[in-house]
Amino acid sequence: MSNVRDLLGVAFSGLTAKPTRTLLIMLGPIIGVSAIVAAVGLTESAKGDLQQTLSELGTNLIKAEAAGSFGTQDPTFPEDVVIRVEALSTVESATAVINLSGIVTSPYAAADSYYTAFPIPVIAADSAFLDVMDIAMVSGRWINGFDDATAGRAAVIGSGLADEFAYIPGTERTISIGGFKYGVVGVMDRVVLEPNLDNAVVISPEAADRDFDSGLEATTLYVRSDPEQTLVTEDALPVAINLGGNDEVNTSVPTDALESAAAADTTLQAIVALMGGLALIVGGVGIANVMSISVIQRSSEIGIRRALGHGRGLIAWQFMLESVVVGLMGGIVGAGVGALVVTFVSRTRGWVVVLNPGLLLMGVVAAVGVSVVAGLYPSTKAARLEPLETLRLG
Amino acid sequence: MTSEHLLELDHVSRIYGEEVEVHALDSVSLTIDAGEFVSIVGPSGSGKSTMLGLLGLLDLPSRGELRVSGLPVSEMTDAQRSRLRGDVVGFVFQQFHLIPYLDARRNVETALLYRGLSPTHRREMAMDALDRFSLADRAGHRPVQLSGGEQQRVAIARAIVTDPDLILADEPTGALDSTNAANVMEIFRGLHSPDRAVAIVTHDPLVAASAGRRISMRDGRIVADEQVEPVGRTSTSGGTLGDTSGPT
Repeated sequence: MSNVRDLLGVAFSGLTAKPTRTLLIMLGPIIGVSAIVAAVGLTESAKGDLQQTLSELGTNLIKAEAAGSFGTQDPTFPEDVVIRVEALSTVESATAVINLSGIVTSPYAAADSYYTAFPIPVIAADSAFLDVMDIAMVSGRWINGFDDATAGRAAVIGSGLADEFAYIPGTERTISIGGFKYGVVGVMDRVVLEPNLDNAVVISPEAADRDFDSGLEATTLYVRSDPEQTLVTEDALPVAINLGGNDEVNTSVPTDALESAAAADTTLQAIVALMGGLALIVGGVGIANVMSISVIQRSSEIGIRRALGHGRGLIAWQFMLESVVVGLMGGIVGAGVGALVVTFVSRTRGWVVVLNPGLLLMGVVAAVGVSVVAGLYPSTKAARLEPLETLRLG
Repeated sequence: MTSEHLLELDHVSRIYGEEVEVHALDSVSLTIDAGEFVSIVGPSGSGKSTMLGLLGLLDLPSRGELRVSGLPVSEMTDAQRSRLRGDVVGFVFQQFHLIPYLDARRNVETALLYRGLSPTHRREMAMDALDRFSLADRAGHRPVQLSGGEQQRVAIARAIVTDPDLILADEPTGALDSTNAANVMEIFRGLHSPDRAVAIVTHDPLVAASAGRRISMRDGRIVADEQVEPVGRTSTSGGTLGDTSGPT
């Protein structure tokens, strides 16, 4: 162990003998590692807020829409579709909704023509919808059994629509849906996974059937699956819904788009990381190069050390350690610089800083690895020097 | 083992070149015993340097056997031979050969590395060795900040700090002016003791005259190996050790 301590001391004094040279060859690993860390860290951090959102939302929501075979008008699901899909073991919960069409919704009669041209979606959904979609209420409440039992016309609207209609939360208002006056009992917060809801009106299926003769066959189904089994569940849904029939079902996972948006730009990441890797390799070549020159310049020192009883192995280790110390220090500094860049840029851009400690460690390990390879040639060269040839004996 | 010689060359040849063989040493037999003061003299190309490399265990014979305290060197690994070299031999070179980026103390300490010594102990030993040659106040100076005479005394301190059995010197006064040269030779005479042999390779008859045994070489062979009456050891004392000359 004392040999290791002595070797480290020798390597350090060798490096501090020419501090400028040492700093210069350290630049290679510093630039390489900081580029890698910054590339990966920045591309991750740029999507950090989306990734955070995604993990809050969960990626297990599946949307299924009824799609009849060619020519079918207004395709729908069977009435017991929720029971059918909840029979799947990977389904946690499900809710069916009816997208009503051809119904004009407007805040007052004078605006009807505008809202005929630009219709507001009307959705018939029960309270399970609230849970499956994880909807928060900005104000008011959801439609409840009391509303239906008393044939009261209650509607919940999206917060976008509330803004558009200038509904003040908490103030009692009514809305005209297909000519019927519905009381607005609540305002939904934005639902990231179904942005259309922001601008939609929701009424109960009972009210839809009573006022608009919608029937009870759903057009759209929302399913929460086992988070690990989303893809399997998505594939199984059409079969479960149709029980072998030939009606078609279009399924989608709303978070897919978000997920690909949240995924770091891997191409950019790969390009910059590759350039960092190249810088690291070029830095390694620089270390090997400068160290080889250094071995020549220090050939008489090597001869002296051999004369003083240091064996070839110790000479080789001395130069290898010099190289490794350069790689280690350069790697640590580079990882620090990279982390600073990621933190600084993310702060100024308002990103969520994503810095994986494993990434920093990997950068340092890569720098040390490169320096070991870079040190192989100079250290063997140093070990092979013949002391008699370098000492110029008289 | 007591009957063994410190160093023994047994019909040693050192041959360079492969297609055209050059016999730098040609079947030389020689023994050096503890406490001897030997000079090895001869013109350029006589084989002195080759002899020095072999005696210092820096080189191996092409033929014949080199033994240290009876142990054949050719059977050793590089690590063993290096360790033995560090333990047995202390080198003093014409060009001093100090490591330029280390101060005097750390140059001396270099001879003590990889021996399991604590840094404190190593430092004390180095300071003692420097102090012995009145260099304690120069311990923190790097070689360029020292005069030639001082550098050579640092090199001698480095050679003796391991308490070797043999001090092997290569033209130790060759790069010094006459005053410093005289001082260094005075030191060499003092290094020689019943436990420690001194061997000086030189072409300077004055230097060689300090030794009690003179080995003369020519064309890779020993042409004379004689006991002589050493001269010097008369006038000087420690007072002349301080030198005032500038760096060479």
